[in-house]
Amino acid sequence: MIKRRTYLGGCFTLLLAASMSWATTTRAESIEDSAKAFLDTLSGKALQSLTVKGVPRMERIEKFRKLFNEYFAVKTIGQWVLGRYWRKATPEQQKEYLDLFEDLIVVSYVDRFAQYTGSGLKIVKTLANNEKVATVYSEITQPNSAQVVRVNWRIRKSSKLIKIVDVVVEGTSMSITMKSDFGSTIRNKGGEVAGLIEVLRDKTAALKKEASAQ
Amino acid sequence: MLLAFMQRGREKHSGSRLAIVLLAAILVTGCATAPNPKYTAAVADYEILNDPAEPTNRAIFKFNKALDTAIFKPVATVYKDYTPSIFQRGVHNVLNNLRTPIIFANDLLQGKLQRAWNTLARFFINSTIGFAGLGDPAADYGFKFHNEDFGQTLAAWGLPEGPYIVLPVFGPSNPRDAIGLVVDALIDPLNIWLSNTNREELIFARAGVRGIDERTSNFDALEDLEKSSLDFYASLRSLYRQHRGDEIRDGEPSVNIPMPGLSNIIPGITPDEEPGSDFGKNVASRTQ
Repeated sequence: MIKRRTYLGGCFTLLLAASMSWATTTRAESIEDSAKAFLDTLSGKALQSLTVKGVPRMERIEKFRKLFNEYFAVKTIGQWVLGRYWRKATPEQQKEYLDLFEDLIVVSYVDRFAQYTGSGLKIVKTLANNEKVATVYSEITQPNSAQVVRVNWRIRKSSKLIKIVDVVVEGTSMSITMKSDFGSTIRNKGGEVAGLIEVLRDKTAALKKEASAQ
Repeated sequence: MLLAFMQRGREKHSGSRLAIVLLAAILVTGCATAPNPKYTAAVADYEILNDPAEPTNRAIFKFNKALDTAIFKPVATVYKDYTPSIFQRGVHNVLNNLRTPIIFANDLLQGKLQRAWNTLARFFINSTIGFAGLGDPAADYGFKFHNEDFGQTLAAWGLPEGPYIVLPVFGPSNPRDAIGLVVDALIDPLNIWLSNTNREELIFARAGVRGIDERTSNFDALEDLEKSSLDFYASLRSLYRQHRGDEIRDGEPSVNIPMPGLSNIIPGITPDEEPGSDFGKNVASRTQ
C-alpha cells in the first residue's frame, strides 16, 4: 500500500512538473516565436523594397518611412526619447516633435537599416525578457568586411500590436543614445522643448536637402 | 579623438607642451555648474551624465574634432578607398595578433580561463597557418577574436569608472580607462622589447597604423552618428559609455538596459513615465 502511494505520488509529481514546464515553454515560445517571425517578415519586406538598385534616394527614404511606421513603435520611442520633457510640451509641440523625430530617423538611417535587414541578417537566437518583450539576437555580415556586427532587436507585443521598441548595435542602444542627445540639446536650449524643435527643424531640413541632391 | 573612441590604443606622445595647454584649458574653462539642489530632475540628470568637467571636455572634443578633420579622417579615407580590402583585413589581423599578450594577460587578471585559452589558441593558429597573423583561420576553428584591456580588468575588480573625460587625441574616456590605457602600453612585451633595443619609432609606427585601422573600421558608424546627432558630443558620450559597458560584460546583454515601452527604475538611468503610451506600464524585465 505504502509502496503504491509513493508510486502514485511520484507519478503525480512528474505530471505536475511536466505540465508546469509545458506551461512555461508555451508561454515563452509564443512571444519568442512571434518576435522572430516578425523580424523575418520585416527583413523580407526590407529586402524587397530597399535594396532595389537605381531607385532615387528620396524614394528609398519614403519606402523606409512606410516600413518604419509599420514595424517600429514610433510614438512610444519618440516619447521615451524626449523623457520628462514630453509632458512639458504642448500638444502642438508634441505633434511636430514626433514628425521631426520620424524625419530624422528615416533620412539618416535608411542605408544602415537596409544593411541590417538585408541578406546579411542572420538570426542567432531569440529570448523572452518577459511575457511581452523578446530580444532577437542577430549578426550582420557586411560585404567586404570580415567583421560581424551584433544587432539585437527588442520587440514588444501588446494585445493587438507587435512592434520594435529598440535596436541595440554592439551593445549600444539607439534609443538611449538619442535620449542622451536630445536631452543635452534641450538643456543647452534652456530646458525648452521649443529649442529642441528648432534644432530638429534645421537638422532635418539640411539632411533632406542633401538627400534630394543625391 | 575619434580614432581613440573605440580604440584603446596607445600612441601617447602628446608631450608636455600639450599637457600644459590642457592644464591651462582646464583652469580657464573650469567645471560645469552643478544645478540648484531643489530641482531634483535637473540634479538627477547632472548625476547621470557624470560629466562634471563638461565645458573642458567639450573644448578638448572640439580640438580632437579639428585634428580628426585635418589628419585622421583624410588618412582613413585614402586608406579605405585606395588600398585593397584584403590588405586592410591583413593589417587588421596582424594588429590583433600582436595584441595577444595584452588580451591574454587581462583575460587571466579577470580570472577568465576559458577566454585566456581562446586567446592563446588563436595566437598559435594564426601565427603559424595564418601566416604570421595575416589571416584569421583560428576564427574558422571556433576561436573567435575578443578584446580585453586593463580598463576592463579594473572594472571587473570593482573600481568605479569615475567621471567622463575627453582625452586629447584619444577621445572619450574616464579615469579608469585612462589608467588602463597607460598600463596596457607599459606592460606590452613588444613595446618593452622595442624600447630596450632602441627602436621606439616602431612603437609609434604600430600605434599609428592601429589608429588608422580603428578609424577606418568605425568610419561609417561615426559618419552616421554625426549625421543623425543634434549634439554629437552628447551622442558620443552616451555611446562610449554603453560600448564600454558592453565590453566589460563581454557582450552579454545587460539586465538593466532601459528601453522604450518599459518603465525603468534602474540605478543610473532617469526613471521616466510614458504618458499615453499604448503599451502601458510594465515591470522591468528579467528572465534571462
